[in-house]
Amino acid sequence: MNKDSHTQHISQQFNTELEEVRSHLLAMGGLVEKQVNDAVNALIQADSGLAEQVRDIDDQINLMERNIDEECVRILARRQPAASDLRLIISISKSVIDLERIGDEATKIAKRAILLSEEGEAPRGYVEVRHIGEQVRKMVQEALDSFARFDAELALSVVQYDKNVDREYKTALRELATYMMEDPRSISRVLNVIWALRSLERIGDHARNIAQLVIYLIRGTDVRHMKMEEKRKEVEGILQDKA
Amino acid sequence: MSEMSSHGIDISALGRDKRNLNLESESVAIQVNHLNLFYGHKQALFDVCMPISRQRVTAFIGPSGCGKSTLLRCFNRMNDLVDGCRIEGEINLDGHNIYRKGEDVTDLRRRVGMVFQKPNPFPKSIYENVIYGLRIQGIKQKRVLDETVEWALKGAALWDEVKDRLHESALGLSGGQQQRLVIARTIAVQPEVLLLDEPSSALDPISSLKVEELIYELKSKYTIVIVTHNMQQAARVSDYTAFMYMGKLIEYGDTDTLFTNPAKKQTEDYITGRYG
Amino acid sequence: MSAKQKDLKTWFRSGAPWIWMNAGAVTIAVLMTLGLLSLIAVRGLGHFWPADVIEAEYRVPGQESRLIAGEVVEAEQVPRARLAASGLPVEAVGGEFMTRELLKVGNREIYGADFTWLIGEWLSNQQKPDGLVVLERREWGNFYGYPLALKENGQVVAEGAAIMPELLKRIERTNELIERLAILERGDIGHINHGLERLRLERRSLELKGRLDAAVEADLQARRAEWDIRYQALESQLTELHRELSRDSMTMRTTDGREQEIQVAKIVRAFQPNAMSLPAKLGHYFVKLWEFVSDEPREANTEGGVFPAIFGTVLMTLIMAVIVTPFGVVAAVYLREYAKQGWLTRVIRIAVNNLAGVPAIVYGVFGLGFFVYVLGGSIDRLFFPEALPAPTFGTPGLMWASVTLAILTLPVVIVATEEGLARIPRMIREGSLALGATKSETLWRVVIPMASPAMMTGLILAVARAAGEVAPLMLVGVVKLAPSLPLNGNYPYLHLDQKIMHLGFHIYDVGFQSPNVEAARPLVYATALLLVLVIALLNLSAVYIRNHLREKYKALDH
Repeated sequence: MNKDSHTQHISQQFNTELEEVRSHLLAMGGLVEKQVNDAVNALIQADSGLAEQVRDIDDQINLMERNIDEECVRILARRQPAASDLRLIISISKSVIDLERIGDEATKIAKRAILLSEEGEAPRGYVEVRHIGEQVRKMVQEALDSFARFDAELALSVVQYDKNVDREYKTALRELATYMMEDPRSISRVLNVIWALRSLERIGDHARNIAQLVIYLIRGTDVRHMKMEEKRKEVEGILQDKA
Repeated sequence: MSEMSSHGIDISALGRDKRNLNLESESVAIQVNHLNLFYGHKQALFDVCMPISRQRVTAFIGPSGCGKSTLLRCFNRMNDLVDGCRIEGEINLDGHNIYRKGEDVTDLRRRVGMVFQKPNPFPKSIYENVIYGLRIQGIKQKRVLDETVEWALKGAALWDEVKDRLHESALGLSGGQQQRLVIARTIAVQPEVLLLDEPSSALDPISSLKVEELIYELKSKYTIVIVTHNMQQAARVSDYTAFMYMGKLIEYGDTDTLFTNPAKKQTEDYITGRYG
Repeated sequence: MSAKQKDLKTWFRSGAPWIWMNAGAVTIAVLMTLGLLSLIAVRGLGHFWPADVIEAEYRVPGQESRLIAGEVVEAEQVPRARLAASGLPVEAVGGEFMTRELLKVGNREIYGADFTWLIGEWLSNQQKPDGLVVLERREWGNFYGYPLALKENGQVVAEGAAIMPELLKRIERTNELIERLAILERGDIGHINHGLERLRLERRSLELKGRLDAAVEADLQARRAEWDIRYQALESQLTELHRELSRDSMTMRTTDGREQEIQVAKIVRAFQPNAMSLPAKLGHYFVKLWEFVSDEPREANTEGGVFPAIFGTVLMTLIMAVIVTPFGVVAAVYLREYAKQGWLTRVIRIAVNNLAGVPAIVYGVFGLGFFVYVLGGSIDRLFFPEALPAPTFGTPGLMWASVTLAILTLPVVIVATEEGLARIPRMIREGSLALGATKSETLWRVVIPMASPAMMTGLILAVARAAGEVAPLMLVGVVKLAPSLPLNGNYPYLHLDQKIMHLGFHIYDVGFQSPNVEAARPLVYATALLLVLVIALLNLSAVYIRNHLREKYKALDH
């Protein structure tokens, strides 16, 4: 299973259709990635203009989700794909949900950015946002990369990385909670930051989902709810028989 | 699917309907051991080894000329009819090698029934078609014959359509009905194994679906082996699928896995329609 | 290129000339067939029409004129010079051609021949007298003349106008008597003769085995006496009938004034063609036609009917079919189903095909040499030693004729059956085998029934060929006149050793071997037509059976 395999069908039309739906997904992914990036930046720099842009893009993403879904349904109905083709379509149609959610979360962050720019900056939390935001953005990017390159190893590293994000999110929460107890006046502003952090954490989860779908796509195994070690075995173990 | 709907949710029923099929845990009806088949000097099957599970549907898929029909026809020794056909290895049906010396081939063929690509009813009445095998066995009691005709036609889901014209020519039936008649004719001799050689390739999609439905019902009583060109059909009706290519058994496993995540690239390429 | 040339070219390219050519060929074939059929139909069927009889004065130049009566059968234009050259006293002046007419004058015992050629120009004063009577006789052909008197035991019972009705009545009586006589001779006396012959053979057989002692001899003697008593009883009946028959006679006068005494028993029918109305002629026509197909031949086959020949032809063809079908089918089944398809099979197949091209007379010679002399001779020595030196099967007969024809037509049946077998889809055979049937069960229950239409086709071709075949039959069992039908009431009912009559041979015999060629010519046409009809009938019935079978097994055609 490699990234060229779906260009080798006897039916050229089928090749084209698969290629199209895949590139549409990657395009959507690119847009979502940018959205996440912009949202984080808007929050940190209190740039309400950028935040508005993020919100506007969301409509476009919703539209893309619908189109890709339609394409997937059409291919399922008309081509009855099997094996890797089937997994590709299933992965795409599921990934698209995750991407759309990521878009939604980015929009939520943008909303917090707008609120923060109106209410005034929060005294704390930007460092965490920047840090986690950077990590999450990278996760999204790598998840999409692994999709584009059919790279199970990379996908596995994304899944692994999600643990770090979760850990750092918890640490940040604890810190900000302490701060809120110390300075109750800042609660509403800090809460906005917490909401943004929570959205970032959710984005990380979605990126992990996408990475797991990539593993399913490439390896044919559903690695969700597996222990990390098992996942690794799945990715590496089968690596040998698929030349 | 589950009887628990009134009380609560049966968790196990929520998941996929995967039967957790596993070749190792099945009762074996036919065991193929190192089967090599030659037509003259040309080898058509290469060292095929496989168990066929009892009361399951096993599908053979593969491109034309891959040997799947040849393999199927080994199970009731139809290949004996071909001049210059030579077989090495063994096929054990219920533990007996059907290629051993002194094997009664007509009795074997009664135990292992076969349905062909094109419906091939005899130019006789529907009734006579169904009891053909019984007549061959010399059964004459009218009561036995009548009963057989009824249950066999019911078994082939044809009784309601033809019960009023049993004594009319079978050639007046539609293609799908003819094929089901042929299945009725085959099950009338109560075989253990049913071999279906592309049973619906000459039928329209609806008739084809009826035959598939019939296969699904028949598998509770018979071990069924089906050869088909239609991969979707194999995916729909079978529990196990064997992919053959150039006379070799490439991959053999449960249908769910084979059609979602085949282990071999050749299988993958074939079922997804890639250049082989 | 001119427009015309271009037109021509497009016309050629359109394929129209091709269609015209094919249609033309078919038209020619159809026209030729129809022409042939209508020729033999007109020539043959016209014979039975009661033509008018003319009476005329005929004066050969330099001779006295004489009165002459007869039916004009044919007229042709002949160059004057040729007639002169043949010695006729033809006048030197006149047209270049003269008419020559063929007149059927009958009265063979007076004139020596039934037919005479006349020069039309020398005929004068032609009339068609109503009173002229034609007598159709059992011997000596027709008599044309005027009745003078009808006598019973030498006493005149009718004269003048009263003769005809009385004559007809008496002819009816004699015809009845003759029929009874025939039944008596053929049936009862024939039965006795048959019995006596078997008794003789039984005695000879016992003698050959050396078991002939006094007791047996006495027994045989007693049985022979029994037959003799029965014969004596019949013999008196026979004499009585013969006496009855010779009761009536009549005196006839020919046109040229000669008188002739004729036994009424010798007359088949009497009629006055010139006085007959159209319906009467029609009635007469159909009676004659019926006589032709249902009666036995008279006068060296030139008169009467051809029933024995029809019967012989049909029976022989049927026996041939009964022999050739199983043989051909079995051979074809072996060649197609069992034999290994190698060079040997191919050689055999080619040989079989070539056999169909061997001239029929070769089969005749083979039949005579092998079947009649070798096989028949052996059979006679083994099973019928008592009849020797008279041969039973060691002589041409119905069986050898049928067997020879069966050999002749075997290739046709084999080829057609093989073709039929080859056309049965493998699926059907496999379907049967897959149900646990053996190969022979499959053959008997499925394959052969399905191939039966093809076998019937082969049989149709065989029958068509066999029924029309003459040459080999002359050698192996067909004669110009068979004493009795090969199927009768005497044990063993079907006499395979008897010689038979055959329509084809009848044509040859009547047309070319007859002493009375002119009289026989129309019969040749009529018999030919009949032969065609018999073959057509045999074929149509086979075609009907085949179509019926085809309908039943039409599975092949999907």
